[in-house]
Amino acid sequence: MLYSSLLFIYAFLPVSILVFYISPQKYRDIILLVFSMIFCAANGLGFLIFMAAYAAFNYFTGILIDVIKKSGTSLEAVPLFAGITADIIVIFMFRTEYMSWLRSIFGFPDEFFPLGVSFFTLSAVGYLTDIYCGRIKAERNIVTFGLYLLMFPKLTAGPVIRYRSFLKISDNRKYGLSEIGKGLIIFIKGLAKKVIIADTIYMLCSDVNNIDREKLSAVNAWLGIIAYMLSLCFTLSGFADMGRGMGYCFGYRLPKSFNYPVFSSRIRYFASKWHMGVVRWFRLYTLKPLYRLSGNQQLKQLLFIAAWCLIGFWYTFSLNGAVWGCLVGIAVTAENFFIRKKILKTTGIIYTFLIMCLLMTFLAGDSIGSSIGYIIAMFGGNRIFADSISVYFFKSYMVLLLVSTYASTDLFGNMMLRSGKSRIRTAFSFISPIVAVLMLMICTALMSYSGNSDIMLIKL
Amino acid sequence: MARRDKNISVIINKTAAFIILLIMTLFLVMTAAGGAEGENPEISFSAVMDGSLFRALEERFTLSFVQRNLWLSSKAKIESQICEKVVNGVYIGDDMLLGAEVLSSPSYTSNADAVNRFSAKNDSAVYFVAVPTSSGVYSEILPEYLTGKTEKQCIDSVYSKLNSGIRRIDAYNILKRLNENYIYFRSDSKWTSYGAYCVYRTVIQKLGFQPSAYDKYTIEHVTDNFRGNLWKKSQYMKSKPDILDIYNYNDGAELLSCTGTDNSHKVRRKELYNRDAVDTDDMYSLYLGEDMPLVQINTSVNNERKLLVIKDDFADCFIPFLIQHYSVIDIFSPECAEGKITDFVNIGDYEQILFLFGTDSLGSENIFSPLAD
Repeated sequence: MLYSSLLFIYAFLPVSILVFYISPQKYRDIILLVFSMIFCAANGLGFLIFMAAYAAFNYFTGILIDVIKKSGTSLEAVPLFAGITADIIVIFMFRTEYMSWLRSIFGFPDEFFPLGVSFFTLSAVGYLTDIYCGRIKAERNIVTFGLYLLMFPKLTAGPVIRYRSFLKISDNRKYGLSEIGKGLIIFIKGLAKKVIIADTIYMLCSDVNNIDREKLSAVNAWLGIIAYMLSLCFTLSGFADMGRGMGYCFGYRLPKSFNYPVFSSRIRYFASKWHMGVVRWFRLYTLKPLYRLSGNQQLKQLLFIAAWCLIGFWYTFSLNGAVWGCLVGIAVTAENFFIRKKILKTTGIIYTFLIMCLLMTFLAGDSIGSSIGYIIAMFGGNRIFADSISVYFFKSYMVLLLVSTYASTDLFGNMMLRSGKSRIRTAFSFISPIVAVLMLMICTALMSYSGNSDIMLIKL
Repeated sequence: MARRDKNISVIINKTAAFIILLIMTLFLVMTAAGGAEGENPEISFSAVMDGSLFRALEERFTLSFVQRNLWLSSKAKIESQICEKVVNGVYIGDDMLLGAEVLSSPSYTSNADAVNRFSAKNDSAVYFVAVPTSSGVYSEILPEYLTGKTEKQCIDSVYSKLNSGIRRIDAYNILKRLNENYIYFRSDSKWTSYGAYCVYRTVIQKLGFQPSAYDKYTIEHVTDNFRGNLWKKSQYMKSKPDILDIYNYNDGAELLSCTGTDNSHKVRRKELYNRDAVDTDDMYSLYLGEDMPLVQINTSVNNERKLLVIKDDFADCFIPFLIQHYSVIDIFSPECAEGKITDFVNIGDYEQILFLFGTDSLGSENIFSPLAD
């Protein structure tokens, strides 16, 4: 079951919210955990058993690290190492083909894929490391820890947050109808991003992929990669928003994952607005410890690029993703080096967008060769600039491209913020529930044929 | 001021929560009260473990979702507005709907081999007609990238893999030449009776007869409200419905009997035209009624000639034209047969065997498995 499915929206979500709020406050954690377990079981009882075992393993490893640490034998690195290795093996086992033999040893069927494995392994590794470093104490309350890993609003699409931040959010929970309303509006916004924009613009992307590579014109190639970038961005941020919105419904004010990265005025900003939780995780747990080892500026820059390489690898678990990450890292470093002076915002937006489109071919391609071939086509390598298909694409997708461009900027939010008059803001806040209901209806219609919207682009 | 703002936003959020939750629960209750569509999922240990039980439940929920048809037609409206005119794999043309699934060049080798083996075993003369779907004949309407591998290429590929003893009949070029006429339905991927008649003229000559002239028929419009498979898939309300015709041959041979044999080998009387079908959801079964593995037709033609037709649903409106030429016509559909063809008929009885299939079924795997030993 995905967030973007009729059964989830019209059965699981309302029922879980109602039951959660009917039950007394002291049982609410358990209720949420039970619903999260039902959510897991809906993807197969096997998934629930796996998740329970996975959570239990990390729970006990955490306690073990804590206990050894207190005993002063300085052997706490052993369980840490074992725990992290096991977590990393789990993510490799499910996301790569060359470790798939391990799956059969554990008896997982071929089609079994724990949705969100890339997110919860990051959470678990971060948790164990934090205990080892003494930033937090191991959690003894299994319900709280279970919620940290399993809570269904953040299970499949993050956001990746540190345990300490999770506890802070958990301590500052706010309940009430107003929070539910806020949450549902965010949820529907995410749903609309996924179902209305990402899925439809993905059609353009797959249309372009259906054209023979030798006949691909430059305009079509650009359209295809722009469509891919927008679709990927709206899919990831759509799911993240849905999760965040549901978090609000249950009192958890989860942080944002994307902050309108596509039209940033600098590559640096793109990198810092893109999938913030994930990028922050890699910065904290891979880059920072290494930075401490050396003060050399050049080495630091190399490490920065390597960390982005790792982030890229995390997306696809293939060379292509690693190359994408590496190139993003290089682009950020190069930008810092060459463009130090302030530049015009428009110029910045244009070059950032163009470079990011070029780099995105690596994330989108199956192999380095095909990505380079695609880039050649983007620069007219097939000696066709545009053809009749381009006209057809423009005619069919113009509206959608404009809408998604607008939706990938924070123009609206900025406008609201800057319009000093609170009256305008009030007027818009009156409209927002109406817009939300309308969006929900459109999404329902679009999902009515298959019952869900399961195009994922990248299975994280 | 800020406080007032905050109060207003709290009130608005509360209203939003109330309205959205109300809609969600209302839809849930209405869906539950509407009764479930689809089959009961089988409950087994493995289905629970791998989640397939839940997927089946989800599918049932989707199928029985409140006012599903209304949602589906809105989907078609929305999608044809905001992006290209492809809804659920159906291209919405100005005049007609066309199937728009990009052909993923299936291998026709195994299907062609099955026909080759069947024909080698038997002495009867074998004829083969591969009929394009509407997207093959009207491919110029489709956007260029969708036509990837054309149906012409698919038909050529099947024909080139058939043994030389099998006589191939080219329906594609006949239909392509006549595509200004109403030879295909606007809302279905299949041909109309007129399309079938145009191909019949060539086929029957190859089978050794003179075709009946067009003016010998009186054409009866049974309904002008036929909505075909493409319409069902896309639910695009604005597309025009189609006409279903019956071609009556005035003073020719008569139909003496028509019987159908089901998979448990029970024989039932059947009508050549099932007029009740017009009031049902499946209007196309006007031709030959419900699908059965074997249909046997006896006519008043006095030439003792017997024909075996092996077919898919493209043939349903084609069969009536054959009545003027054969004493016995037996029709076998491998798609709905369980077991072998030899369980139903004795192949040695026929001097001629006609294969008639649409390109869509020729691409599906193991369609000819009932022909094997």
